[in-house]
Amino acid sequence: MILSNIETIPGKNITRFYGVVSGSTVRAKNVGRDIAASLKNLVGGELKGYTELLNEAREEALHRMTQQAESLGANAIVNVRFSTSSVAQGAAELFAYGTAVQVE
Amino acid sequence: MHSFGVPSWRDHDLTFDPSLPTEGINVSRVHPLREALILVFGVIGVTVATVASIGFVVDWVAPSIPPKYEVYLFSDWFEAEEPAAAPKPRAEALRAVLDRVSVHWPDSEYRFRVQIWDQAEPNALALPGGTIAVTEGLLDAVTSENELAFVLGHELGHFHNRDHLRGLGRGVGMSLVLFAVGIGGGGGAAQLAAIAGQLTQRGFDRDQESAADEFGLGLVAAEYGHTAGASDLFEHLRATSDASALASYLSTHPLHGDRVIRLEAVARAAGWPLTGERSALGSKLEAPSDPSSETEPAADPVSTE
Amino acid sequence: MEDAMGIAVLQVGIPLALLLLGYFVGGAVERRHYASIQERELRWRSLPAVNFRTVPGGWIVDDATLVLGNVVISVDYFKRFLAGLRMLFGGRVKVYESLMDRARREALVRLKVETVERGYHALVNVRMETSQLASGRGGSGVAGIEVLAYGTALKLRTPPT
Repeated sequence: MILSNIETIPGKNITRFYGVVSGSTVRAKNVGRDIAASLKNLVGGELKGYTELLNEAREEALHRMTQQAESLGANAIVNVRFSTSSVAQGAAELFAYGTAVQVE
Repeated sequence: MHSFGVPSWRDHDLTFDPSLPTEGINVSRVHPLREALILVFGVIGVTVATVASIGFVVDWVAPSIPPKYEVYLFSDWFEAEEPAAAPKPRAEALRAVLDRVSVHWPDSEYRFRVQIWDQAEPNALALPGGTIAVTEGLLDAVTSENELAFVLGHELGHFHNRDHLRGLGRGVGMSLVLFAVGIGGGGGAAQLAAIAGQLTQRGFDRDQESAADEFGLGLVAAEYGHTAGASDLFEHLRATSDASALASYLSTHPLHGDRVIRLEAVARAAGWPLTGERSALGSKLEAPSDPSSETEPAADPVSTE
Repeated sequence: MEDAMGIAVLQVGIPLALLLLGYFVGGAVERRHYASIQERELRWRSLPAVNFRTVPGGWIVDDATLVLGNVVISVDYFKRFLAGLRMLFGGRVKVYESLMDRARREALVRLKVETVERGYHALVNVRMETSQLASGRGGSGVAGIEVLAYGTALKLRTPPT
């Protein structure tokens, strides 16, 4: 599966398009990490626990989007976009979407 | 539009395929009841483990705090609460009974004080710093000096075992746990954790009550030469139709089925006589003759004020 | 003692009843919603919707307009309770994934219905926005989610087949 966040796959021709495919997952931080993060908040700097958490979740969203495209018979997703939103306090949704296409 | 210099999809015709993606990719396939089971037992397990380990740490630390330091720390905590309405003679008589039993714990580092609380529910409390609080309702309910002496001895047992400090420490620990759960999990989780935590605490409370009973019984036996009357209060409270008074006393002194039987077993094992003459309460301690305060005690505490 | 028992029954009974209500009724509501989403997705699937900003070469566009589709939905008490517990441990909040999935697909299908009803043939530059409405205390507060789907609807000289 080829992914791009422009409207083409450079060097390839789009021959067929399907529609918007998307992948999402909802993740919560835990109390332990929260306490560590609130201490870290005093001095600032990277909250490593959260970086990992969101990174892993975003991978999952991408993976799910790819699975949707595969189920359509697509071999590329163009114009991929990410968005993160809070579902409830302490829980975030990681969302990825793009247009599934076939390229040659 | 872009500078890649590659064929764009604008340049030629495209086929549109209206297929729909496979259902359910974005939803984790897990039965909600399975998830519920895992989470509920997880929360209960973590709470019980945390509260219990705080309990053990507190039980280990509390006895090593010198009573002198405790008295210094809490000396002015319960001073102001002494109700002016309490009849002085009654407090003095209560004090006399306390002195009679506390004599048998000579190496105590506390200077005990008594307070009478103007409450209709029968109850007695050991407060940090060496204060024993007894309610008017309890004084009205007891019928012999032995009975009252055992109640006071039981509270002395709490001081002896530092239960008031342990209770305080566990209470603080429990609040911390619930606070953390509250931040993280919100209402439902906090409720669940509170129930699990309280049940764990109850285990500690029970052990404490038994230990305090034993200590109190020892003092009573030393003073009167027998243990008759010690468990009278439980029988009274059980016999009385006023269920809420019992509930109130049991809320801080859980009655685990056979407390009376246990007391007898302890006495038997120690070789203390189970029967003997009960000493009468002094006239200063006896319940006021006004019948209204006896027939409608705990139901409405406000009315007794 | 009876009073204490009564209070205990209320304290445990009411949440338990709400949990059962959420599990059974909430579950039924979700299944019905999914059935309705699937039916409409199938019915409107021949409308092309992409998130390109450009228009395929073969299309001759007569008219274009902005169209919107939105929905606000919330989870049932049972799922909210589970999510609240999940917030303690962290990790995947499985019970909220179906909420987001339903909201997204509902908004997108409404966008398509709007497009067709206004006489347009295709959607380009489809975007989605999510926002959380009225948050209560803690994770169990409220999960009222709005999803807004919007895009540019195209009127084509020869509609795609």
